[in-house]
Amino acid sequence: MTSTPVIDVARLNLSYGDFHAVKDLSFQVEKGELYALLGTNGAGKTSTLEAIEGHRRATSGTVRVFGQSPRDRRAVRPRMGIMLQESGFSPDLTVRESVRLIGKLSQREDRVERVLSIVDLTHKAGTQVSQLSGGEKRRLDFATAVYGKPELIFLDEPTTGLDIQSRDALWDAVDKLREDGSTIVLTTHYLEEAQQRADRIGLMHKGTFHREGTVAELTQTLPATIRFALPAPAPALPLPLPLQATRANDGQFLIETFGLQKDLHTLLGWAHANAVELRELQAGPTRLDDVFRSIDRD
Amino acid sequence: MLSIALSELIQIFRNRLVLVTSLIMPAAVSAYFIYQHEVFADLGSLGYIAGLVMFTVGAFGLYTTTVTTLASRRQNLFLKRLRSTPASDASILLGLMLPVTVLALLQVAAILTVLAVVAGGPTNVVLLVAAVLATVIMMLGLGLATAGLTNSPEHAQVTTLPISLGAIAVASWVGITGAEELTLLKRLLPGGSATELVLNAWNGGVPVTDSLLLLVPTLSWVIVAVALASRLFRWEPRR
Repeated sequence: MTSTPVIDVARLNLSYGDFHAVKDLSFQVEKGELYALLGTNGAGKTSTLEAIEGHRRATSGTVRVFGQSPRDRRAVRPRMGIMLQESGFSPDLTVRESVRLIGKLSQREDRVERVLSIVDLTHKAGTQVSQLSGGEKRRLDFATAVYGKPELIFLDEPTTGLDIQSRDALWDAVDKLREDGSTIVLTTHYLEEAQQRADRIGLMHKGTFHREGTVAELTQTLPATIRFALPAPAPALPLPLPLQATRANDGQFLIETFGLQKDLHTLLGWAHANAVELRELQAGPTRLDDVFRSIDRD
Repeated sequence: MLSIALSELIQIFRNRLVLVTSLIMPAAVSAYFIYQHEVFADLGSLGYIAGLVMFTVGAFGLYTTTVTTLASRRQNLFLKRLRSTPASDASILLGLMLPVTVLALLQVAAILTVLAVVAGGPTNVVLLVAAVLATVIMMLGLGLATAGLTNSPEHAQVTTLPISLGAIAVASWVGITGAEELTLLKRLLPGGSATELVLNAWNGGVPVTDSLLLLVPTLSWVIVAVALASRLFRWEPRR
Protein backbone atom coordinates (compact mmCIF):
# COMPACT_ATOMS: atom_id res chain seq x y z
CA MET A 1 0.00 0.00 0.00
CA THR A 2 1.47 3.29 -1.07
CA SER A 3 -1.51 5.46 -0.16
CA THR A 4 -1.29 7.42 3.08
CA PRO A 5 -2.87 5.59 5.99
CA VAL A 6 -6.25 6.75 7.23
CA ILE A 7 -4.89 6.84 10.76
CA ASP A 8 -1.26 7.43 11.60
CA VAL A 9 -0.20 7.39 15.23
CA ALA A 10 3.45 8.06 16.00
CA ARG A 11 5.00 7.81 19.47
CA LEU A 12 1.79 8.82 21.17
CA ASN A 13 1.97 9.57 24.88
CA LEU A 14 -0.96 10.45 27.12
CA SER A 15 -0.59 11.36 30.77
CA TYR A 16 -3.03 12.44 33.42
CA GLY A 17 -1.08 14.00 36.21
CA ASP A 18 1.31 11.31 37.37
CA PHE A 19 -0.47 8.53 35.52
CA HIS A 20 1.13 7.61 32.21
CA ALA A 21 -1.86 6.06 30.40
CA VAL A 22 -0.31 5.57 26.96
CA LYS A 23 3.42 5.19 26.29
CA ASP A 24 5.12 5.68 22.93
CA LEU A 25 2.37 4.04 20.94
CA SER A 26 2.76 3.88 17.15
CA PHE A 27 0.50 2.28 14.57
CA GLN A 28 -1.29 2.86 11.30
CA VAL A 29 -4.68 1.92 9.98
CA GLU A 30 -5.01 1.59 6.21
CA LYS A 31 -8.02 2.51 4.16
CA GLY A 32 -10.72 -0.16 4.26
CA GLU A 33 -9.25 -2.00 7.23
CA LEU A 34 -11.12 -3.11 10.30
CA TYR A 35 -8.68 -2.49 13.09
CA ALA A 36 -9.49 -3.74 16.58
CA LEU A 37 -7.93 -2.05 19.56
CA LEU A 38 -8.12 -4.54 22.38
CA GLY A 39 -6.72 -4.72 25.83
CA THR A 40 -7.14 -5.40 29.50
CA ASN A 41 -9.05 -2.93 31.64
CA GLY A 42 -7.08 0.28 32.05
CA ALA A 43 -4.71 -0.65 29.22
CA GLY A 44 -5.17 2.74 27.58
CA LYS A 45 -7.58 1.81 24.78
CA THR A 46 -10.13 4.52 25.46
CA SER A 47 -7.44 7.18 25.94
CA THR A 48 -5.86 6.18 22.64
CA LEU A 49 -9.23 6.16 20.90
CA GLU A 50 -10.09 9.59 22.28
CA ALA A 51 -6.78 10.97 21.04
CA ILE A 52 -7.50 9.64 17.54
CA GLU A 53 -11.07 10.90 17.60
CA GLY A 54 -9.78 14.33 18.58
CA HIS A 55 -11.42 14.42 22.00
CA ARG A 56 -8.10 14.41 23.82
CA ARG A 57 -4.89 16.28 23.21
CA ALA A 58 -1.76 14.14 22.96
CA THR A 59 0.75 14.78 25.74
CA SER A 60 3.44 14.13 23.12
CA GLY A 61 3.71 12.40 19.76
CA THR A 62 1.52 12.91 16.73
CA VAL A 63 -1.83 11.63 15.59
CA ARG A 64 -2.92 12.13 11.97
CA VAL A 65 -6.29 11.23 10.56
CA PHE A 66 -6.68 11.56 6.79
CA GLY A 67 -3.29 13.27 7.02
CA GLN A 68 -4.65 16.00 9.28
CA SER A 69 -4.87 16.75 12.96
CA PRO A 70 -7.97 15.09 14.44
CA ARG A 71 -8.43 18.19 16.56
CA ASP A 72 -9.23 20.14 13.41
CA ARG A 73 -12.87 19.18 13.62
CA ARG A 74 -14.02 21.13 10.60
CA ALA A 75 -11.55 19.29 8.35
CA VAL A 76 -11.79 15.80 9.76
CA ARG A 77 -15.15 15.20 11.42
CA PRO A 78 -17.37 15.37 8.32
CA ARG A 79 -15.53 12.25 7.16
CA MET A 80 -15.85 10.28 10.40
CA GLY A 81 -18.64 8.83 12.50
CA ILE A 82 -18.11 8.19 16.18
CA MET A 83 -19.99 5.72 18.36
CA LEU A 84 -19.05 6.67 21.88
CA GLN A 85 -18.74 4.15 24.66
CA GLU A 86 -21.50 5.91 26.56
CA SER A 87 -24.33 7.28 24.53
CA GLY A 88 -24.61 10.95 25.46
CA PHE A 89 -28.04 11.78 24.13
CA SER A 90 -30.43 14.24 25.62
CA PRO A 91 -33.20 12.33 27.41
CA ASP A 92 -35.77 14.94 26.40
CA LEU A 93 -35.25 14.56 22.64
CA THR A 94 -36.89 11.85 20.60
CA VAL A 95 -34.96 9.25 18.63
CA ARG A 96 -35.76 11.03 15.36
CA GLU A 97 -34.76 14.44 16.73
CA SER A 98 -31.48 13.06 18.08
CA VAL A 99 -30.49 11.49 14.77
CA ARG A 100 -31.60 14.55 12.82
CA LEU A 101 -29.52 16.87 15.04
CA ILE A 102 -26.32 14.82 14.97
CA GLY A 103 -26.82 14.00 11.29
CA LYS A 104 -27.27 17.65 10.43
CA LEU A 105 -24.16 18.59 12.40
CA SER A 106 -22.18 15.85 10.64
CA GLN A 107 -22.62 17.77 7.37
CA ARG A 108 -23.22 14.44 5.59
CA GLU A 109 -26.25 13.69 3.46
CA ASP A 110 -28.58 10.92 4.53
CA ARG A 111 -32.13 10.22 5.62
CA VAL A 112 -33.10 9.73 9.26
CA GLU A 113 -35.49 6.93 8.27
CA ARG A 114 -32.73 5.01 6.50
CA VAL A 115 -30.34 4.88 9.46
CA LEU A 116 -33.16 4.12 11.89
CA SER A 117 -34.21 1.17 9.76
CA ILE A 118 -30.65 -0.19 9.81
CA VAL A 119 -30.83 -0.52 13.60
CA ASP A 120 -34.51 -1.44 13.70
CA LEU A 121 -35.57 1.67 15.59
CA THR A 122 -38.09 2.95 13.04
CA HIS A 123 -40.97 2.15 15.37
CA LYS A 124 -39.25 4.12 18.15
CA ALA A 125 -38.66 7.25 16.07
CA GLY A 126 -41.10 9.32 18.11
CA THR A 127 -39.98 7.96 21.48
CA GLN A 128 -37.97 10.12 23.84
CA VAL A 129 -34.47 8.84 24.54
CA SER A 130 -35.26 8.63 28.26
CA GLN A 131 -37.72 5.83 27.42
CA LEU A 132 -35.19 3.67 25.55
CA SER A 133 -33.56 0.54 26.93
CA GLY A 134 -29.78 0.31 27.16
CA GLY A 135 -29.57 -1.77 24.00
CA GLU A 136 -31.80 0.65 22.10
CA LYS A 137 -29.55 3.53 23.11
CA ARG A 138 -26.54 1.64 21.77
CA ARG A 139 -28.36 1.13 18.47
CA LEU A 140 -29.30 4.82 18.35
CA ASP A 141 -25.65 5.62 18.90
CA PHE A 142 -24.67 3.36 16.01
CA ALA A 143 -27.32 4.96 13.79
CA THR A 144 -25.86 8.44 14.36
CA ALA A 145 -22.32 7.17 13.77
CA VAL A 146 -23.15 5.71 10.35
CA TYR A 147 -25.35 8.62 9.24
CA GLY A 148 -24.22 9.55 5.75
CA LYS A 149 -21.87 6.53 5.42
CA PRO A 150 -18.68 8.14 6.72
CA GLU A 151 -15.29 7.01 5.44
CA LEU A 152 -14.02 6.30 8.95
CA ILE A 153 -16.12 4.91 11.77
CA PHE A 154 -15.15 4.49 15.42
CA LEU A 155 -17.05 1.81 17.28
CA ASP A 156 -16.28 1.87 21.00
CA GLU A 157 -17.71 -1.36 22.41
CA PRO A 158 -20.60 -1.26 19.97
CA THR A 159 -22.32 -4.49 20.94
CA THR A 160 -22.25 -4.19 24.73
CA GLY A 161 -25.78 -4.78 25.98
CA LEU A 162 -27.15 -5.87 22.60
CA ASP A 163 -29.10 -9.07 22.11
CA ILE A 164 -27.85 -11.51 19.50
CA GLN A 165 -30.23 -10.34 16.75
CA SER A 166 -29.21 -6.72 17.21
CA ARG A 167 -25.58 -7.75 17.24
CA ASP A 168 -25.93 -9.62 13.96
CA ALA A 169 -27.81 -6.70 12.41
CA LEU A 170 -25.10 -4.30 13.52
CA TRP A 171 -22.35 -6.43 12.00
CA ASP A 172 -24.33 -6.79 8.78
CA ALA A 173 -24.47 -3.01 8.61
CA VAL A 174 -20.74 -2.80 9.26
CA ASP A 175 -20.08 -5.32 6.48
CA LYS A 176 -22.11 -3.20 4.04
CA LEU A 177 -20.17 -0.09 5.01
CA ARG A 178 -16.93 -1.96 4.46
CA GLU A 179 -18.06 -3.01 1.00
CA ASP A 180 -18.37 0.70 0.27
CA GLY A 181 -14.80 1.20 1.46
CA SER A 182 -15.29 2.50 5.02
CA THR A 183 -12.48 2.06 7.50
CA ILE A 184 -13.49 0.81 10.95
CA VAL A 185 -11.76 1.15 14.30
CA LEU A 186 -13.25 -1.13 16.91
CA THR A 187 -12.87 -1.77 20.60
CA THR A 188 -14.76 -4.64 22.16
CA HIS A 189 -14.81 -6.98 25.09
CA TYR A 190 -16.24 -9.74 22.92
CA LEU A 191 -13.02 -11.26 21.66
CA GLU A 192 -14.72 -13.61 19.23
CA GLU A 193 -16.05 -10.54 17.39
CA ALA A 194 -12.54 -9.22 16.97
CA GLN A 195 -11.24 -12.65 16.04
CA GLN A 196 -13.87 -13.08 13.34
CA ARG A 197 -13.89 -9.59 11.92
CA ALA A 198 -10.67 -7.70 12.51
CA ASP A 199 -8.08 -7.49 9.77
CA ARG A 200 -5.55 -6.50 12.37
CA ILE A 201 -5.51 -6.26 16.11
CA GLY A 202 -3.55 -4.01 18.43
CA LEU A 203 -3.45 -5.69 21.80
CA MET A 204 -2.73 -3.11 24.49
CA HIS A 205 -1.41 -3.73 27.96
CA LYS A 206 -0.28 -1.06 30.41
CA GLY A 207 -0.22 1.70 27.80
CA THR A 208 1.73 -0.04 25.07
CA PHE A 209 1.19 -2.74 22.49
CA HIS A 210 1.63 -6.16 23.97
CA ARG A 211 1.27 -7.52 20.45
CA GLU A 212 0.09 -6.18 17.13
CA GLY A 213 -0.80 -8.02 13.96
CA THR A 214 -3.38 -10.17 12.22
CA VAL A 215 -5.39 -12.63 14.24
CA ALA A 216 -3.22 -15.44 12.87
CA GLU A 217 -0.05 -13.64 13.85
CA LEU A 218 -1.33 -13.10 17.37
CA THR A 219 -2.49 -16.63 17.93
CA GLN A 220 0.31 -18.58 16.26
CA THR A 221 2.74 -17.88 19.08
CA LEU A 222 0.56 -19.95 21.37
CA PRO A 223 -0.17 -23.68 20.91
CA ALA A 224 -3.45 -25.00 19.54
CA THR A 225 -5.50 -27.20 21.84
CA ILE A 226 -7.27 -30.57 21.75
CA ARG A 227 -9.75 -31.40 24.52
CA PHE A 228 -11.65 -34.57 25.18
CA ALA A 229 -13.03 -36.75 27.93
CA LEU A 230 -13.01 -40.53 28.30
CA PRO A 231 -16.09 -42.60 29.21
CA ALA A 232 -16.83 -42.45 32.92
CA PRO A 233 -16.17 -46.05 33.89
CA ALA A 234 -12.85 -45.60 32.24
CA PRO A 235 -11.63 -48.72 30.56
CA ALA A 236 -8.81 -49.37 32.93
CA LEU A 237 -6.36 -47.04 31.42
CA PRO A 238 -3.32 -49.05 30.91
CA LEU A 239 -3.49 -47.90 27.34
CA PRO A 240 -0.91 -45.17 27.26
CA LEU A 241 -2.00 -42.06 25.47
CA PRO A 242 0.04 -41.46 22.37
CA LEU A 243 0.57 -37.82 23.30
CA GLN A 244 1.53 -35.64 26.24
CA ALA A 245 -1.74 -34.61 27.91
CA THR A 246 -2.75 -32.93 31.12
CA ARG A 247 -5.88 -33.87 32.99
CA ALA A 248 -8.09 -31.15 34.41
CA ASN A 249 -10.18 -31.50 37.57
CA ASP A 250 -13.33 -32.19 35.59
CA GLY A 251 -11.66 -35.21 34.03
CA GLN A 252 -11.09 -33.55 30.68
CA PHE A 253 -7.83 -34.12 28.90
CA LEU A 254 -5.99 -31.21 27.35
CA ILE A 255 -3.29 -31.51 24.70
CA GLU A 256 -1.39 -28.40 23.65
CA THR A 257 0.29 -28.66 20.28
CA PHE A 258 1.97 -26.65 17.55
CA GLY A 259 1.14 -29.45 15.08
CA LEU A 260 -2.62 -29.62 15.41
CA GLN A 261 -3.38 -31.62 12.27
CA LYS A 262 -0.71 -34.25 12.86
CA ASP A 263 -1.38 -34.71 16.57
CA LEU A 264 -5.13 -34.85 16.05
CA HIS A 265 -4.58 -37.57 13.47
CA THR A 266 -2.42 -39.49 15.92
CA LEU A 267 -5.04 -39.21 18.65
CA LEU A 268 -7.92 -40.27 16.43
CA GLY A 269 -5.87 -43.20 15.12
CA TRP A 270 -5.13 -44.29 18.67
CA ALA A 271 -8.77 -44.02 19.69
CA HIS A 272 -9.91 -45.99 16.67
CA ALA A 273 -7.31 -48.70 17.11
CA ASN A 274 -8.19 -49.13 20.79
CA ALA A 275 -11.96 -48.66 20.33
CA VAL A 276 -11.93 -45.75 22.78
CA GLU A 277 -14.73 -43.19 22.57
CA LEU A 278 -13.45 -39.63 22.80
CA ARG A 279 -16.28 -37.66 24.33
CA GLU A 280 -16.75 -33.90 24.01
CA LEU A 281 -13.93 -33.83 21.52
CA GLN A 282 -12.81 -30.34 20.57
CA ALA A 283 -9.85 -29.25 18.56
CA GLY A 284 -9.01 -25.79 17.40
CA PRO A 285 -6.51 -23.05 16.97
CA THR A 286 -5.66 -20.80 19.86
CA ARG A 287 -8.35 -18.30 20.57
CA LEU A 288 -7.78 -14.66 21.37
CA ASP A 289 -9.01 -15.42 24.87
CA ASP A 290 -5.91 -17.49 25.38
CA VAL A 291 -3.71 -14.71 24.05
CA PHE A 292 -5.36 -12.43 26.60
CA ARG A 293 -4.89 -14.91 29.40
CA SER A 294 -1.24 -15.20 28.53
CA ILE A 295 -0.66 -11.45 28.87
CA ASP A 296 0.05 -11.49 32.55
CA ARG A 297 2.17 -14.61 32.30
CA ASP A 298 4.70 -13.02 29.98
CA MET B 1 -25.48 26.43 15.67
CA LEU B 2 -29.12 26.95 14.74
CA SER B 3 -29.84 23.22 14.73
CA ILE B 4 -28.36 22.97 18.23
CA ALA B 5 -30.42 25.99 19.30
CA LEU B 6 -33.58 24.45 17.87
CA SER B 7 -33.05 21.17 19.70
CA GLU B 8 -32.33 23.13 22.87
CA LEU B 9 -35.59 25.03 22.51
CA ILE B 10 -37.47 21.73 22.17
CA GLN B 11 -35.77 20.49 25.32
CA ILE B 12 -36.64 23.61 27.31
CA PHE B 13 -40.31 23.26 26.51
CA ARG B 14 -40.30 19.52 27.17
CA ASN B 15 -38.61 19.77 30.54
CA ARG B 16 -41.19 21.29 32.86
CA LEU B 17 -38.73 21.94 35.66
CA VAL B 18 -36.60 24.13 33.42
CA LEU B 19 -39.65 25.80 32.00
CA VAL B 20 -40.92 26.72 35.47
CA THR B 21 -37.61 28.05 36.81
CA SER B 22 -36.57 29.86 33.66
CA LEU B 23 -39.87 31.28 32.44
CA ILE B 24 -42.75 31.14 34.85
CA MET B 25 -41.03 31.96 38.12
CA PRO B 26 -39.35 35.20 36.94
CA ALA B 27 -42.55 36.22 35.14
CA ALA B 28 -44.61 35.68 38.29
CA VAL B 29 -42.21 37.65 40.47
CA SER B 30 -42.05 40.44 37.91
CA ALA B 31 -45.84 40.53 37.72
CA TYR B 32 -45.89 41.08 41.46
CA PHE B 33 -43.44 44.00 41.18
CA ILE B 34 -45.66 45.63 38.59
CA TYR B 35 -48.82 44.94 40.57
CA GLN B 36 -47.22 46.62 43.60
CA HIS B 37 -45.42 49.24 41.56
CA GLU B 38 -46.51 52.11 43.74
CA VAL B 39 -44.96 50.49 46.82
CA PHE B 40 -41.70 49.76 45.03
CA ALA B 41 -41.64 53.19 43.40
CA ASP B 42 -41.96 54.77 46.85
CA LEU B 43 -39.14 52.56 48.10
CA GLY B 44 -36.87 53.46 45.19
CA SER B 45 -38.23 54.59 41.87
CA LEU B 46 -39.80 53.15 38.73
CA GLY B 47 -36.25 52.59 37.51
CA TYR B 48 -35.69 50.40 40.56
CA ILE B 49 -38.57 48.17 39.46
CA ALA B 50 -37.07 47.97 35.97
CA GLY B 51 -33.72 47.00 37.48
CA LEU B 52 -35.36 44.35 39.67
CA VAL B 53 -37.21 42.90 36.70
CA MET B 54 -34.02 42.82 34.66
CA PHE B 55 -32.09 41.00 37.36
CA THR B 56 -34.92 38.67 38.31
CA VAL B 57 -35.05 37.45 34.73
CA GLY B 58 -31.29 37.72 34.24
CA ALA B 59 -30.28 35.95 37.44
CA PHE B 60 -33.05 33.40 37.91
CA GLY B 61 -34.23 32.89 34.37
CA LEU B 62 -31.11 33.27 32.30
CA TYR B 63 -28.16 32.68 34.61
CA THR B 64 -29.52 29.79 36.64
CA THR B 65 -30.95 28.05 33.59
CA THR B 66 -27.68 28.44 31.69
CA VAL B 67 -25.69 26.86 34.50
CA THR B 68 -28.21 24.06 35.01
CA THR B 69 -28.44 23.36 31.29
CA LEU B 70 -24.69 23.23 30.73
CA ALA B 71 -24.14 21.03 33.79
CA SER B 72 -26.90 18.69 32.69
CA ARG B 73 -25.70 18.46 29.07
CA ARG B 74 -22.23 17.72 30.33
CA GLN B 75 -23.34 15.14 32.86
CA ASN B 76 -25.25 13.06 30.31
CA LEU B 77 -22.38 13.44 27.81
CA PHE B 78 -24.49 15.41 25.33
CA LEU B 79 -21.66 17.97 25.15
CA LYS B 80 -19.20 15.22 24.25
CA ARG B 81 -21.64 13.94 21.66
CA LEU B 82 -21.90 17.40 20.09
CA ARG B 83 -18.12 17.67 20.14
CA SER B 84 -17.95 14.41 18.18
CA THR B 85 -19.35 16.31 15.21
CA PRO B 86 -17.71 19.03 13.10
CA ALA B 87 -19.43 21.72 15.20
CA SER B 88 -16.96 24.10 16.86
CA ASP B 89 -16.92 24.70 20.61
CA ALA B 90 -18.12 28.26 20.12
CA SER B 91 -21.09 27.27 18.00
CA ILE B 92 -22.00 24.52 20.47
CA LEU B 93 -22.05 26.97 23.38
CA LEU B 94 -23.85 29.64 21.39
CA GLY B 95 -26.40 27.11 20.21
CA LEU B 96 -27.01 25.87 23.74
CA MET B 97 -27.38 29.37 25.19
CA LEU B 98 -29.24 31.06 22.37
CA PRO B 99 -32.82 29.90 23.13
CA VAL B 100 -32.77 30.77 26.82
CA THR B 101 -31.13 34.11 25.99
CA VAL B 102 -33.79 34.99 23.45
CA LEU B 103 -36.50 33.93 25.88
CA ALA B 104 -34.96 36.09 28.60
CA LEU B 105 -34.75 39.11 26.30
CA LEU B 106 -38.35 38.65 25.18
CA GLN B 107 -39.43 38.34 28.79
CA VAL B 108 -37.62 41.50 29.89
CA ALA B 109 -39.00 43.39 26.90
CA ALA B 110 -42.55 42.21 27.55
CA ILE B 111 -42.48 42.90 31.29
CA LEU B 112 -40.89 46.33 30.93
CA THR B 113 -43.44 47.19 28.24
CA VAL B 114 -46.21 46.35 30.67
CA LEU B 115 -44.49 48.43 33.35
CA ALA B 116 -44.22 51.36 30.93
CA VAL B 117 -47.90 51.12 30.03
CA VAL B 118 -49.05 50.77 33.63
CA ALA B 119 -46.76 53.25 35.35
CA GLY B 120 -45.10 55.39 32.69
CA GLY B 121 -42.21 54.68 30.33
CA PRO B 122 -38.45 55.18 30.43
CA THR B 123 -36.75 58.46 29.61
CA ASN B 124 -34.13 56.92 27.34
CA VAL B 125 -35.08 53.67 25.63
CA VAL B 126 -31.76 53.23 23.83
CA LEU B 127 -29.83 53.46 27.07
CA LEU B 128 -32.22 50.98 28.64
CA VAL B 129 -31.64 48.54 25.79
CA ALA B 130 -27.88 48.93 26.20
CA ALA B 131 -28.19 48.22 29.92
CA VAL B 132 -30.27 45.11 29.35
CA LEU B 133 -27.97 43.74 26.65
CA ALA B 134 -24.84 44.36 28.72
CA THR B 135 -26.47 42.67 31.71
CA VAL B 136 -27.55 39.67 29.65
CA ILE B 137 -24.05 39.21 28.27
CA MET B 138 -22.58 39.52 31.75
CA MET B 139 -24.97 36.93 33.17
CA LEU B 140 -24.14 34.55 30.30
CA GLY B 141 -20.42 34.94 30.97
CA LEU B 142 -20.93 34.37 34.70
CA GLY B 143 -23.12 31.38 33.82
CA LEU B 144 -20.34 29.82 31.73
CA ALA B 145 -17.83 30.35 34.53
CA THR B 146 -20.19 28.96 37.18
CA ALA B 147 -20.94 25.93 35.00
CA GLY B 148 -17.25 25.10 35.22
CA LEU B 149 -17.59 24.78 38.99
CA THR B 150 -20.84 22.85 38.82
CA ASN B 151 -20.75 19.06 38.65
CA SER B 152 -24.40 18.29 38.09
CA PRO B 153 -27.76 19.98 37.56
CA GLU B 154 -28.56 19.34 41.23
CA HIS B 155 -25.28 20.93 42.23
CA ALA B 156 -26.31 24.01 40.22
CA GLN B 157 -28.98 24.78 42.81
CA VAL B 158 -26.14 25.54 45.22
CA THR B 159 -23.47 26.97 42.95
CA THR B 160 -25.80 29.56 41.39
CA LEU B 161 -27.00 31.01 44.69
CA PRO B 162 -24.13 33.43 45.44
CA ILE B 163 -24.36 35.22 42.12
CA SER B 164 -28.13 35.10 41.62
CA LEU B 165 -28.93 36.28 45.16
CA GLY B 166 -25.96 38.64 45.10
CA ALA B 167 -27.10 40.28 41.89
CA ILE B 168 -30.62 40.83 43.25
CA ALA B 169 -29.18 42.21 46.49
CA VAL B 170 -26.86 44.59 44.67
CA ALA B 171 -29.69 45.71 42.39
CA SER B 172 -31.88 46.42 45.41
CA TRP B 173 -29.12 48.20 47.29
CA VAL B 174 -28.29 50.45 44.38
CA GLY B 175 -31.95 50.81 43.38
CA ILE B 176 -33.10 51.90 46.83
CA THR B 177 -30.14 53.91 48.10
CA GLY B 178 -28.84 55.27 44.78
CA ALA B 179 -25.17 55.52 43.96
CA GLU B 180 -24.27 58.80 45.64
CA GLU B 181 -22.60 57.10 48.57
CA LEU B 182 -20.08 54.27 48.31
CA THR B 183 -20.19 54.99 44.57
CA LEU B 184 -17.04 53.10 43.65
CA LEU B 185 -18.00 49.96 45.55
CA LYS B 186 -21.53 49.96 44.19
CA ARG B 187 -20.34 50.42 40.65
CA LEU B 188 -17.71 47.72 40.86
CA LEU B 189 -19.98 45.04 42.27
CA PRO B 190 -21.44 42.87 39.50
CA GLY B 191 -24.82 44.32 38.61
CA GLY B 192 -24.22 47.59 40.47
CA SER B 193 -23.39 49.81 37.54
CA ALA B 194 -25.95 48.00 35.36
CA THR B 195 -28.65 48.86 37.88
CA GLU B 196 -27.51 52.46 38.03
CA LEU B 197 -27.65 52.57 34.24
CA VAL B 198 -31.23 51.30 34.29
CA LEU B 199 -32.14 53.89 36.93
CA ASN B 200 -30.68 56.64 34.78
CA ALA B 201 -32.33 55.34 31.62
CA TRP B 202 -35.76 55.04 33.22
CA ASN B 203 -35.79 58.01 35.60
CA GLY B 204 -33.67 60.40 33.53
CA GLY B 205 -31.85 63.41 34.95
CA VAL B 206 -28.29 62.23 34.20
CA PRO B 207 -26.30 63.16 31.08
CA VAL B 208 -26.14 60.28 28.61
CA THR B 209 -22.35 60.43 28.35
CA ASP B 210 -22.03 59.94 32.11
CA SER B 211 -24.41 57.00 31.92
CA LEU B 212 -22.54 55.35 29.07
CA LEU B 213 -19.44 55.15 31.27
CA LEU B 214 -21.44 52.83 33.48
CA LEU B 215 -21.23 50.20 30.76
CA VAL B 216 -17.51 49.83 31.42
CA PRO B 217 -17.73 47.95 34.76
CA THR B 218 -20.44 45.64 33.39
CA LEU B 219 -18.44 44.80 30.29
CA SER B 220 -15.35 44.34 32.45
CA TRP B 221 -17.27 41.70 34.35
CA VAL B 222 -17.93 40.02 31.01
CA ILE B 223 -14.18 39.86 30.37
CA VAL B 224 -13.52 38.53 33.87
CA ALA B 225 -16.28 35.96 33.50
CA VAL B 226 -15.09 34.76 30.11
CA ALA B 227 -11.50 34.52 31.37
CA LEU B 228 -12.72 32.48 34.34
CA ALA B 229 -14.88 30.34 32.09
CA SER B 230 -12.00 29.53 29.77
CA ARG B 231 -10.07 28.22 32.78
CA LEU B 232 -12.94 26.54 34.59
CA PHE B 233 -15.23 25.22 31.90
CA ARG B 234 -15.14 21.47 31.35
CA TRP B 235 -16.72 19.57 28.50
CA GLU B 236 -16.75 16.16 30.12
CA PRO B 237 -17.71 15.03 33.60
CA ARG B 238 -14.94 14.30 36.06
CA ARG B 239 -14.14 10.65 36.22
